[in-house]
Amino acid sequence: MIKMNEQQLAELESDLNAIRDEVLADRGERDAKYIRRIVRLHRTLEIGGRVMMPFGFIPPVFVAATTALGLSKIIENMEIGHNVMHGQYDWMNDPSLHSQTYEWDTVCTSDSWRRTHNYEHHTYTNVIGKDRDYGYAVLRLSDDVKWHPGHLLQFINYILLTVLFQWGVGVHELESERLRRREITWKSKLPFLKEFARKGGRQAFKDYVFFPLITFPVAPIVLAGNIGANLIRNLWSSTVIFCGHFTQDAETFTEQECENESKGHWYLRQLTGSSNFTGGKWIHLLSGHLSYQIEHHVFPDLPAHRYPEISEKVQAVCRKHGIHYNTGSFARQYGTVLKRIMAYSLPDRVRQRLTSPEPAQAI
Amino acid sequence: MLARQTQHKALQWLGRQLFNREDPAAFFDPLLEQLNPMWVQQYTPAQIKQVINETADTKTLVLKPAKQWAGFYAGQHVNICTEIDGVRYDRTFSLSSSPALWRNQGLITLTIKRLPGGLVTNWIHDHLDTDAVIGLGEAFGEFRLPEIPRPVLFIAGGSGITPILSMLETMAADDYRAPVTLLYYVRTSRDIIAQEKLEALASRYSALTLNVIATHDTDKPRFLKEQDLQSVPGLKAREVYMCGPGGLMDLAESQLEAQGLKAEHIHKTFFAAPGVALDSDSVGGIVQFTGSELEVSSEGDANILEIAEAAGLSPRHGCRMGICHQCSCRKTSGTVVNRLTGKTSGPGEENIQLCVSVPQGPVSVDI
Repeated sequence: MIKMNEQQLAELESDLNAIRDEVLADRGERDAKYIRRIVRLHRTLEIGGRVMMPFGFIPPVFVAATTALGLSKIIENMEIGHNVMHGQYDWMNDPSLHSQTYEWDTVCTSDSWRRTHNYEHHTYTNVIGKDRDYGYAVLRLSDDVKWHPGHLLQFINYILLTVLFQWGVGVHELESERLRRREITWKSKLPFLKEFARKGGRQAFKDYVFFPLITFPVAPIVLAGNIGANLIRNLWSSTVIFCGHFTQDAETFTEQECENESKGHWYLRQLTGSSNFTGGKWIHLLSGHLSYQIEHHVFPDLPAHRYPEISEKVQAVCRKHGIHYNTGSFARQYGTVLKRIMAYSLPDRVRQRLTSPEPAQAI
Repeated sequence: MLARQTQHKALQWLGRQLFNREDPAAFFDPLLEQLNPMWVQQYTPAQIKQVINETADTKTLVLKPAKQWAGFYAGQHVNICTEIDGVRYDRTFSLSSSPALWRNQGLITLTIKRLPGGLVTNWIHDHLDTDAVIGLGEAFGEFRLPEIPRPVLFIAGGSGITPILSMLETMAADDYRAPVTLLYYVRTSRDIIAQEKLEALASRYSALTLNVIATHDTDKPRFLKEQDLQSVPGLKAREVYMCGPGGLMDLAESQLEAQGLKAEHIHKTFFAAPGVALDSDSVGGIVQFTGSELEVSSEGDANILEIAEAAGLSPRHGCRMGICHQCSCRKTSGTVVNRLTGKTSGPGEENIQLCVSVPQGPVSVDI
């Protein structure tokens, strides 16, 4: 991370605050219309998917129904749920879009998400040992964690995590790594486990029991389609999230660096610890605008559809302060994530030999 | 916001399973609203059928609520919800029509005066027109007529006439057999709300004595006087209903008590937040918002809703005057003073209304 003195950090803070204030002053009906339109799109896709699914014995209908339901889950989780729970639309005073009461269509309970994601991850972003989202305590993604032979298999872990992503996010707060190390007791996790079982049971009941049962003669088709839709969502959302913090240039931090940090330092950490990817309008919508992860981490509670509009200004602030603005095509960023997962599965010596800097080019 | 809690237990269970919400019908609202705003399930939609100009700054909206609305008693009020520049606002108004009109024609009326500088009342005056649909809550309030007819005295000030209009209509329709007197204080004779209706009532309902008093028709203001009350026959035996500005009600109350009326026979309803004067040295403190991991300190008589908003939080809220309970939330520890009553809470866990709760020392709230 580049070194900035307190005065520079204060200037960075006021530059970014100015961008935020501009959006807040303009926030209103346009944002309300936008999120309501997205909610209607979600309802249409979900209802359409569920109604088509029993006719899935016709192969193209099966594909359409599964895709529609998968997209509906993606939009609900990414552009509606995640963003609403950040309080991006609290100002609307609409009980259906309020951060404290919204419950989303995934295994993780909203309460658990608000604690682990909104608080832990967004406060201690990429601080090794504090941000448990960094590698999800399953993957070794930097040399801050000591290598052991188990890490050789971490690509398999990655595949499992991405396929079962909603369950992984759901049990995240269990802190299994700390349970293993006996730093905390199972008993202390009982209330969490109860909530997890209730919400997980509810999600499984809906997609894998209720809807197949009420369409009994075609139950296997509906079950398969619902599993497919959940799988589509799991693969996509995990990929988007991995591209947000695990790319090649996304930096990590130590606890000492962040002790008593100023707001300016926090801003700097958000700018350097996050990474964007480029793409069309639909890519941004389906990623809940987490393709603008940098903007999101700097301003987690501004309506996300505003991120593309302020991106230029954030980039200008980065240029002014000499901060690297980490962006690239989706394929490039995802490529560096996969490379990182592979590289850090190897012992440090092997990794360093393999990834040692390219020989300097002849001048 | 104007949540309906009439849903069946089993439906609630299924709603949680399928839609992750207690009110499954509201899941479809975003689509239903596009098709027909009167089909919305989350709150009761009500369509404006007619707008009547009462005075220069007062209008009566004639509304037709959707079928699910449960009705009301004369004197009660409702929350209505409007959306202004993307933000939903709840405000409380008294119903000015009689329950009979609702039963017979399915219509209700709200009589709304522009508040100087008020966001919602001015918006209603400037933007709401026939065919628009607003949200309606269920009626509530304890400002109600006695079940057994007793002599009644109404004291109204300005737009405080609205719940009393509803009561008078009801009494006339039921042929309420006991003396009824209305002392109606208005600023000038041009500010009489529903003048024709009142005169018509007085002429067809013989039990009613109407006394309209203008306070500012002459240079010297003429406020409520002792003789206004003394002119009411059998004053001591009357059940008194008051609605109006705080100053009028305080004055009337002290004079009524001086005349020997007991507090249990005096009923009041507010249409503006009455401020109990709080000693600003004894209030304020550190407020901990446990759900947001945030702690702020407050000085003076700011309420917790204002403190939360100043700290960048946006708790759910409604009327901001302690009526609608939208902002009710769990206090986990600490003492608060209720602005409406001036009463101090216990130190333990309980539900409080943020908009009228002023911290007294350190307080923790679950936001």
